[in-house]
Amino acid sequence: MNILKKPFIAMIAALAVAALSAHGQSQSAQSRPLVKTDAVTYLFPEQVSVPVGKPSQVALHFRIAQGLHINSHTPSDEFLIPTEFSIPDGSGVRLAGITYPAGTMIALPIDPTTKLSVYTGEFILQARIVAAAGNHLVQGKLHYQACDQNQCMPPKTINVAFDVIGK
Amino acid sequence: MRSVPLRRNTLVLSATLLILAIFAWAGWANWEYRRQEAERLLAGAGQGELVPVPGGGAQYVSPLNGKPAPAFELKDLTGNKVSLASYRGKAVLINFWATWCAPCKLETPWIVELRQKYAAQGFEVLGVDTEGDDLKPDDKAGWAKATAAAGKFVAEEKMPYPVLLDGDSISRDYGGLDDLPTSFFVDRKGVVVAAQVGLTSESDIESKIQKALNQ
Repeated sequence: MNILKKPFIAMIAALAVAALSAHGQSQSAQSRPLVKTDAVTYLFPEQVSVPVGKPSQVALHFRIAQGLHINSHTPSDEFLIPTEFSIPDGSGVRLAGITYPAGTMIALPIDPTTKLSVYTGEFILQARIVAAAGNHLVQGKLHYQACDQNQCMPPKTINVAFDVIGK
Repeated sequence: MRSVPLRRNTLVLSATLLILAIFAWAGWANWEYRRQEAERLLAGAGQGELVPVPGGGAQYVSPLNGKPAPAFELKDLTGNKVSLASYRGKAVLINFWATWCAPCKLETPWIVELRQKYAAQGFEVLGVDTEGDDLKPDDKAGWAKATAAAGKFVAEEKMPYPVLLDGDSISRDYGGLDDLPTSFFVDRKGVVVAAQVGLTSESDIESKIQKALNQ
């Protein structure tokens, strides 16, 4: 048995070294600075039940990636693109109205005098929807334009998917 | 005496489980490494989105550095065609911007000032508007609106240099241009000598203009 023990232990040691080596490579990659991020992520709800034909309020929660901001619905400059939510026609659910949160006023470090009205972190849109009877997969659209303190990404529209059950 | 084989079996079982756990861990670590490496390469190709770095800001090294600036011919605000080739012999700053880009608005006065300062030495700026990122070619109303917005911006900022439209049509040649402002500094021979993504400073832009003039 002693003859078998040594190769067995050696094999375990070799495997452990190989695994640790792989982990070392992974850690090296994790220390690299380049990490791609989506500017805005839809969080929840995934499903809501509402009475048929009656305007019902649904709070849509979003998260903006750390270090980024998007313009509020009422940007401080006419050239800036407002954040807007919409629901395409024909989904069985109509957007009767929406309340956007007020933006937070920020200034870019290089120009403290120019204020920008933006959303950062998590924000909530209070949508009022009217649903027909039945189950509907709503593919809402959030149009926004994101920047950090030094640069901006092009305007983007993301899907905001949630199930609406009209009862 | 009977407890010895039992203990041995326990040891063997433990060792086997340990090996399996190590394999699982190594597999995950390798997968994660390959995934991040793929993302890094994509970002390095200039096709990524905003790429944050620790401490804020973003890193950008253009793959075009040291290579001829990709040729283009675009219409300016008055409908005249302007080609990069017609500026051969001059140092050129190709500045991609958009009206919706607040940092672009901040750097524009610097560029206007530097253009005045170095024009006599053979320096020119080509402002390239990338307004129509999400516009279809046949969206006449959309393009008219975008052109009007660019014209208003140019008038407000008193930009004295050529401003070209439909920058998105050449964005792929210039590395994707996912972030604005993006600038390329081209020497008199038409070679890209420097590039930048995002707002830096007037002195940084000036040093790159001097590099383009003196190459």
